[in-house]
Parts: sequence; structure tokens; C-alpha cells
Amino acid sequence: MAVYKRTYQGYDGRLTPAWSRFLIIARYAFQRLFDSKFLIAFFVASFVWPAICAVIIYFPHNSGAIALLHPSVREMIPIDGRFFLRYMVWQGSLAFLLAACVSPGLISTDLRNNALPLYLCRPFSRAEYVLGKMSVLAILLSSITWVPGLLLFALEASLEGTAWLWANLWIATGIFLGSWIWILVLCLLGLALSAWVKWKLAAGALLFGVFFVAAGFGAAINNTMHTDSGSLINLVELIGAIWAGLFRVKARTGISVESAWVMVIAICLCCLLLLARKVRAYEVVRS
Amino acid sequence: MTATLDDRIVFEDVSKFYGEVLGVNQVHLSIPPGITTLVGPNGSGKTTLMNLMTGLVRPSRGRVSVLGIPPGQPERLFRIAGYCTQFDAFPRALTGYQFLYSFLRVHGMGDLQAHQFSFKALERVGMVEAAHRRIAAYSKGMRQRIKLAQAISHQPAVLVLDEPLNGLDPMARAETIALFRVLAREGSHVIISSHILHEVDQVSDQVILLSNGYVVAEGQIQAVRGEMHLEHPLQVLVRCNNPSLLASRVFAQDHVAEVKLHSDRLGLLVTTRDPNRFYELVNQMVLEGTIDVESVAPTDDDVHSVYEYLIGNEGGAA
Repeated sequence: MAVYKRTYQGYDGRLTPAWSRFLIIARYAFQRLFDSKFLIAFFVASFVWPAICAVIIYFPHNSGAIALLHPSVREMIPIDGRFFLRYMVWQGSLAFLLAACVSPGLISTDLRNNALPLYLCRPFSRAEYVLGKMSVLAILLSSITWVPGLLLFALEASLEGTAWLWANLWIATGIFLGSWIWILVLCLLGLALSAWVKWKLAAGALLFGVFFVAAGFGAAINNTMHTDSGSLINLVELIGAIWAGLFRVKARTGISVESAWVMVIAICLCCLLLLARKVRAYEVVRS
Repeated sequence: MTATLDDRIVFEDVSKFYGEVLGVNQVHLSIPPGITTLVGPNGSGKTTLMNLMTGLVRPSRGRVSVLGIPPGQPERLFRIAGYCTQFDAFPRALTGYQFLYSFLRVHGMGDLQAHQFSFKALERVGMVEAAHRRIAAYSKGMRQRIKLAQAISHQPAVLVLDEPLNGLDPMARAETIALFRVLAREGSHVIISSHILHEVDQVSDQVILLSNGYVVAEGQIQAVRGEMHLEHPLQVLVRCNNPSLLASRVFAQDHVAEVKLHSDRLGLLVTTRDPNRFYELVNQMVLEGTIDVESVAPTDDDVHSVYEYLIGNEGGAA
């Protein structure tokens, strides 16, 4: 045994706050994502509807446009909860498609390549890893949902005045909260499926399956059993019920807002459980 | 053995089961600084032992401590530990530099420090020129070196390297082994797993032999071999001017199991259960002037022989 003198110099400099380190994961993920021209085109196209909404909001406040069309142009498309709900439904659909493109590759590639030890042999937990991966999706989806939504709300408030702002503050809450619920569901489902099947294409297909097959199955239950309970496995209807509650409009589905909340929370918990089981630094070998 | 030693990696009665599958069982180890190599067939528990050191798996029983730090405290542990897995696991769109830089940021370094430490590590593994090329375009050997760079980039005191020599060409192997020696001289613990037994011999201060999840032997290889002389007598090749005379004297010794004359008639292969007494005899004959000795060298006190004797070809524990 040789005699070794400890002469190495470990790093003892300043450290960045631990809470912020999960964002490092997103750093290069965006670079990789935006290497795809399709994704760039899709992302840009996601702002078309907010731009149209901005025009719709601005139009009734433009004297030239009022003179040209009709003074009652303001009543043609009222800017209220229903207007913003329509905005949310459209942007939410785009958010789903974007999540279906992006989420399958986020965790599956790492798991398939046994890359998790690489991340987890740092002062970095599994929760931070998942949070980091989730932040990629959350930032993307936020930029096409609540961020432009709140900008539209601010535009309308600036045109209408403070009274409108205070009277309709619940709409802003609805945009923010409604978007985040949708983002959270998409992130958790996307990541959980990505971790579960470890195959990008299959994870993407499964995400569509969870939404559309479950919706079809739910509709079949509703029709054959003359009940609304089938809607409880239809994620679109669950979110629709919650959004309807937030935007103070009547929901199309028969399920209550409370039961929709309970089901969405249950689905999120199942996704978290799946992530906790699958996102591990090692492969469990079974003989 | 105590878990409070702050310059050792300590395993106290550690077992790890993956459900019904045994990872490692009843491991007691106290690993000092220097280069320690884990040797064993596939499935013997090398990677499990490494994962236990780095907290990537938790022991089913027993305790592990790395320089006094329990692996359950990653914030403290990974300040002093670096791990290089055997898997080719990369975000392949990144360049070598981006790969190191981003993981140093995960370690909590600021922009400037991460930049500096990335280049220091790249320099140590000889990858500065390829720093800004994408990892996807790297050769197998370059990928091994960039993996090694990420493990040493934050200048850890404990380096855990799973099969770090796989895929390296002879030159890169020699450079990498030299780097391990430098790191060990600086007082680091360098824990390596390897299948390449002759390189284990070159590089290791001590070895840990594993088979079927059990530690079969540990320590300096000559010391381990020394404990096996009764079951597996040592073979010593003596090259001298009069091997026949030496053979006749050696035959009279009760510790000698076998004597073979080399085909060129200038060497004698002696199998002995007590090498010290044999060496004394050779010394005595040299002093008497009855033989001129050119060399005396054990032929089976290397890792390969110990591995063969203890583990064998089938990978079963002796």
C-alpha cells in the first residue's frame, strides 16, 4: 500500500441556491427541442389565436372600426368569461398537441440509456430531476396559455379601465389557475407515460390514448347506462367542468365541479406514484 | 472497523437485495485512499457496491459511510464524490463542454466557476480540442473520457468509476491509468471496477474480489495471495545457471509440492506452500556460490491467478 498525502483541492467556492438547480435541466432541452423546424413552426402557430383575440379585443375600441362597421360591434363579441373560456379551450388543445410532441422524449430517453445515475450522482434529487423535466414542458405550455391569456386580459383592462379590471379579476384568476391545472395534468401524464413505456413513440401514442380512448369509453358508459359517471374518466370533460366553474359558465358535462377536482387530483397522484416507481437510478433486476 | 473513520469508505455488514435477487451480502469493507479495484464476474455485485457508495441504492441492511458521510445525504456526499457509470448515457445533442458545464451548474457552481472547472477537467482527460464538438460525434474512447471528465470535474475526493477503461485504445488506457495514479497520489479514493485483469494488476493498490454478491477477498493482491498458499501453493520461476542442482535441493524440502524444469534448461518452476522458506534456500545457495541466479519471480501472485483460484471460470465463489 502506497502512502498518499491528501493534496487535492476540492471546490469550496460559492454555490447557487439549491432550489434553482432544477432549471439547469431545461437549459439544453430547449436548445434540442428548437432544433426541430416543425416544433418551431407549431410553436409560432400557437400564437395565431391569441393574436386574433387581441384584434377582437382591440377592434371595438377603435373609433375608425366602429364608424366603419356599426356602433353595436361591441355587443357582437362580448369580452367576458365565455370569450376567455373559448380562448382557453383553443390554446389548451394546442398545449395538448405540444405536450404530445415534447413530453414522450423527456424521460424515456434517459431511462432507456440508463442515464439517471448521471443526474442523480449530484446534489440533485429524483424530485428535482422530475421538476427539471417538468419545467421544460411547463415553460413551453405557459408561454402559449396563461402568459398570452393574461396579456389579453391586461389589454382589455387597459382599454376598458380600472372598473372593468376589478369587476373581472376572477377572469384573470380563471386564466391563470385553469391554465396551470391543465399544464400540471399534461406534464404529469406526459412524464409518467414517458417513464413507464420508455419508448418515445409509444409514450406519445399512449398520451393520445389516455385522452381519446378514455373519452370514448366514458361516452359509451354514459350512453349505455344513462349516467354521467362515464365522464369521470374523460379528462377533457373533467378539465372542461373545472374551467366552466372558473369562468362562471354552465358546463356541458353533467359531472359536478367537485367530483371533477377529485378525479383530476387522483389522476395527478397516480402519475406521481408512477414517476416515483419508475424514476430511479438503477434497474431492478428480477429473476 | 468503525464508520466514524473520515478518510475511509466503510461498509458495515451491508446487504442489498433487489426483491428476491441478491445484490451484495454481508459486506464488511474499509477502503483507504488510493486505487481500489473491484473485480468479479458479471452479476457479482460490483455495480451494486458502487451504487451503494454513491447512495443511488440504499442498503437493505447495514451501514455505508463515505469519508464519514452517509450516502443518504447527497448534498454533502456529492460535494466529495464523483461517479462515472458504465453506461453510455448522454444528452447527445450537447457538446463535451456543455455536458460538463451543465452538470457543474447542477452541482451549484456559478457560470464562471463552471466554465473554469469544465476546462480543467477537459484538460485532464485530454479532450480540450474536442470540447466544442457534439458528444454524438465522439468515438467510444472519447465518450469514456468525457464521462470520466464529468466525474472528476468538481474535484471530488472519492471517484467511483464503473468500467472506466472499456473502449479505450492502448494509448488512452495508459493516459487514463496515469491520471488515476495522479488522483490517487493527491490522496483521492479511486474506486474502479474492471474485467481487464492485467490492467487491474498495473493500476491497483488493492483489490476487492466479488463473486455472487459476496466479497471473496480484499486487500493488496500479494497479501491476498499470501493467505492462499496452503490451498494454492505459489509458483516461482527461478532462472539460474544450474537448475538441476537447485531442483535436487528443493525436492528435499517438505513445503515444495512440484518442481518443473524449464524447456531451455535454464529455469526451474517451483510450486511451494511456504515461499519464504524457498527464498531462504535460494539465498543460501547463492551465498554458497553453488548457483548464479538471474531472476526469481512468482508467476501466479497476480490478480488473474487469484481470480482463477478464488472465483474460477464459472464465477462461483471458492
